[in-house]
Amino acid sequence: MNETIAKEHLSEEQIDQDLLKNVNWGGKFKLWMGFLTVSLIICLYYYYQQLQNGLGVTGLHDYVSWGIYISNFVFFVATSLIGMLVSSVLGMMKVDWVRPVSRIAELVAVAFAMVAGLIIITDMGRPDRLLNVFIHGRVQSPIVWDIAVVVTYVAISALLLYIPMLPDIALCRDKLNNVPKWQQKMYQRLSLGWNNTAKQFRLMNRYTRMLLILIIPIALSIHTVTSWLFAMTLRSGWDSPIFGPYFVSGAFVAGCAAVIIAMYFFRSNYKLKDYITSDHFDRMGKLLVLVALVYVYFNINEIIVPGYKANTADAKHVHEMLYGHDSVMFWLVQLGGLVIPFLLILFRPMRKPLPLTIIAVIILAGAWFKRVLIVVPTQLAPYYPIQNVPEAWSGYSPTTPEIAITIASFILVLMIITVLAKLFPVVPIWEVKEEMNHNNNK
Amino acid sequence: MKNNKRYKLIILFCLCFLAVANVNAQSDWQVPAKDNENLSPFLFDDDMILEGRVAYENSCTSCHGTPGQDDFTPMSPPPGDPAAEQFQAQSDGSLFYKIKMGRASMPKFEDAFADDELWNIVAYIRSFNENYKQQLPNMEGVEIPVYAMKLSFDQNVDKLVVKVLAEELPQAEVSVSAYVMGTFGKHLLGKAQTNELGIAYVDVDPALPGDAEGKVNVLVKATKEFARAKVQQDLAIAMPTEIHSAIEGRHIWSTDRMAPIWLKITFFVSVFGVWFALLFIVFGLRNIKRAREES
Amino acid sequence: MNMANKNDKSRRRFLQKLGIAGASTVAGSALLLQGCSDSNQASGNKVKVLTADNKLVEVDVAHLKPGDKIQDLSYLQKRGREGIPGKKFVMVVDLAKCKNARKCMKACQSAHQLKPEMHHLNVLEMEDPVKKTSYWMPKTCQHCDNPPCVSVCPVDATFKRQDGIVLIDNERCIGCRFCVAACPYSARTFNWTEPKNSDKMADVTYDMELNVPQKKGTVTKCAFSADQLRYGKLPYCVSACPNGVYYFGDQNEDLVTNGTTKKTVRLSHLLEENAAYTLMPELGTKPSVYYLPPRESEG
Repeated sequence: MNETIAKEHLSEEQIDQDLLKNVNWGGKFKLWMGFLTVSLIICLYYYYQQLQNGLGVTGLHDYVSWGIYISNFVFFVATSLIGMLVSSVLGMMKVDWVRPVSRIAELVAVAFAMVAGLIIITDMGRPDRLLNVFIHGRVQSPIVWDIAVVVTYVAISALLLYIPMLPDIALCRDKLNNVPKWQQKMYQRLSLGWNNTAKQFRLMNRYTRMLLILIIPIALSIHTVTSWLFAMTLRSGWDSPIFGPYFVSGAFVAGCAAVIIAMYFFRSNYKLKDYITSDHFDRMGKLLVLVALVYVYFNINEIIVPGYKANTADAKHVHEMLYGHDSVMFWLVQLGGLVIPFLLILFRPMRKPLPLTIIAVIILAGAWFKRVLIVVPTQLAPYYPIQNVPEAWSGYSPTTPEIAITIASFILVLMIITVLAKLFPVVPIWEVKEEMNHNNNK
Repeated sequence: MKNNKRYKLIILFCLCFLAVANVNAQSDWQVPAKDNENLSPFLFDDDMILEGRVAYENSCTSCHGTPGQDDFTPMSPPPGDPAAEQFQAQSDGSLFYKIKMGRASMPKFEDAFADDELWNIVAYIRSFNENYKQQLPNMEGVEIPVYAMKLSFDQNVDKLVVKVLAEELPQAEVSVSAYVMGTFGKHLLGKAQTNELGIAYVDVDPALPGDAEGKVNVLVKATKEFARAKVQQDLAIAMPTEIHSAIEGRHIWSTDRMAPIWLKITFFVSVFGVWFALLFIVFGLRNIKRAREES
Repeated sequence: MNMANKNDKSRRRFLQKLGIAGASTVAGSALLLQGCSDSNQASGNKVKVLTADNKLVEVDVAHLKPGDKIQDLSYLQKRGREGIPGKKFVMVVDLAKCKNARKCMKACQSAHQLKPEMHHLNVLEMEDPVKKTSYWMPKTCQHCDNPPCVSVCPVDATFKRQDGIVLIDNERCIGCRFCVAACPYSARTFNWTEPKNSDKMADVTYDMELNVPQKKGTVTKCAFSADQLRYGKLPYCVSACPNGVYYFGDQNEDLVTNGTTKKTVRLSHLLEENAAYTLMPELGTKPSVYYLPPRESEG
């Protein structure tokens, strides 16, 4: 007997009611959004300061010219990759248990991918010249590839969120009569006149399938290209042919953790214990074990291969990581943020919702700092010594505006997820029903 | 009080000593008597001063600074300011000799500048001295021949052939120096003396690259006592070389216009391919709407 | 008094008969534009120029002089991107001669309007790991023939020209700093804040060959003083050196000129006789800057 699919006792009306109940603008929501908005405005003030005074307000300098903005960008791209893994790979393999959480995964993907694009703009010295990328774009530059794939990925993820949601939007249109007028109109528009005909389902499934196939290469390239921003340079520490798969595997770890956190949040706040069960957490935990194992494997490769050969520059880089300047952060991230959590979730009790969520938070934090470790130390170990510049340039510490702008990106993600989760049901209602009927008929 | 005075005396003494030592550093430099009395055969006019200034700014400012500004580089021994008294106290011949021959950290400019160009620099230095009155050599009774030069190239022995004539007669024992004009300076090919037929040979490295026809711009100077002549012309003495642009071909680092074709195709085919599929789906959404009307 | 003057004049005439006194012999002042157009003939292409007494006049392109302040941005941009035909500029740095006088750094920073912490040219103290000694190494942009910085630029803001110089167009740079990350020589620097003298430079027309005025939020780096080369003058750093460290010239001519002594020597001989090397040749960047090794006895 499988807990995940134990929904026989629920009636269709009950399901509709349970899952639609979150689509409202309650006081709690308003309070939360108010809090987010105020925080965002505070952070945007710092961005205004950066626009006025230049990137000099950050802790960046000539030797660490990419700092936490770029690390954060890599982290966001990484996290957004999970949408592909959960909805596409597992969905196409007919892994049924992911169906209730696939929309959460897509929400996370869309939100993180959208904001990733904005982070790149905050890192630009001349954001006013953004259009130059389209006017004078150069096909040889990985940045141009990156922009192309990020934009494409956002579009595909949005479509992949939207198209399978059509029946649920129609349900909202039909059942939610007490929402504001604009919202009803929106459902009306977005539902495309859905009325559950077989042909509509056939078309929807066809398009979804196309998207699911399309998203795999795009999702892989979005993160591979992001890794190429580093791997295409001649810097030791970045100049590594395994960076593509290394980043992709790391992305799944971060993404799984983010989805687990989102699942827990929705489950407890939206009272969805019957739909997002502890069995879902158990399985997500196992998925996390799998992807973390692959990631640990890549991490070992990444350190052991250059460390063994110890050519001059690489040896310095590896030494800094293992024993030197960056060692505290390195070991905290590798052991505390990856290996120990990985070992813990091998045990079943640790895969219960609350413990797993706590571990996921630690893993996600570790994943963020891991990106800093990828981006920053390499730049601090250039081939030629750092001389004739201010003392501070031989290190890097982010400033308040920099941290605030980074926090702003997280606030934006939360806002996007919150709004979307308030406009649409976070668990695909029609899929839950279909699965239930399918089980009952068995 | 008395002590104080004594200190002042000591300091004064030290300063005097330093000053003397400084002057000594300059006067230390023994210039042979003959060179010391050497005089410029040219009158230091505005043209010379101007040219001397260009040469000075290119080659001397880095150590000696701008004359009169006392902004020379602190070195040991100090290079000094050419407008300063101890500089101007020297004879023209001494200045000429020192610039030409160099010593320790003062470079030797013999190969960089011909004699007339060295005199340009002396003229420029003298232009900062209001009291300077140029001493000119005694030219009375000196007959100065006017030289004409004919340049040719002997391919068999890779030699530049310089024939020096004065009123159609070959001139012997004329010092000839030949240069190849580079973008930023002239490269000394060699120096030679004319034989009794008035011919001097200068070796040319056959590996020296020229233009597509093997031509380089050659400058030849001939001097003997007060007689001087120079000729500058393009001569095919070097190896014919085809010059390539540094950005020929298609590379990853080329501009977008010159991007590798495989890359352009791959990029645009994949981007447009995916977006075509996406647009297909977006337009396909209308079918969903239509599917309702049919039912 | 009168007599003396007269005497001088007659002598002058006499000397002029020698035929040299007035002849122009300074090689450096020849216009480099010869390659693309006849230097003496008007090209018909006119640009606006600001004269020394602040008057705006139109001058034919063929008659431009080193000190001219050209006011025509599109002309400067076009000229900057095209480069000088037939040339391939190279630099040779003789480490044995460098005594860390830093005149080059000073000249560079003042020419390019750089703040003290910004370096197009940085004199580094390098450790020799074998001999346990140290030596001074001036490090400029290497103007690579396979430039990793140019490869990654998303907007063609940095590019390589036909004369081998890698330049930056700070009118186009978006400030992504990918080039800074990609350069293994750390040769690039960024205008993190408002550049030096930005209010004074506000009206100056941008010349990418000098990369002045600097602009906030854009990258800057050594340009081999392309603005000087155009007029046959040596780069700022090269002519500022008091110690004869720098040679600069055209690889196609196989001639390089020492900035201090003005002596012009054969590039190939200089490199061969002194066991010249380039920085990190294993990276395959193919630098245009060569180094002659530091003196053995030093340290």
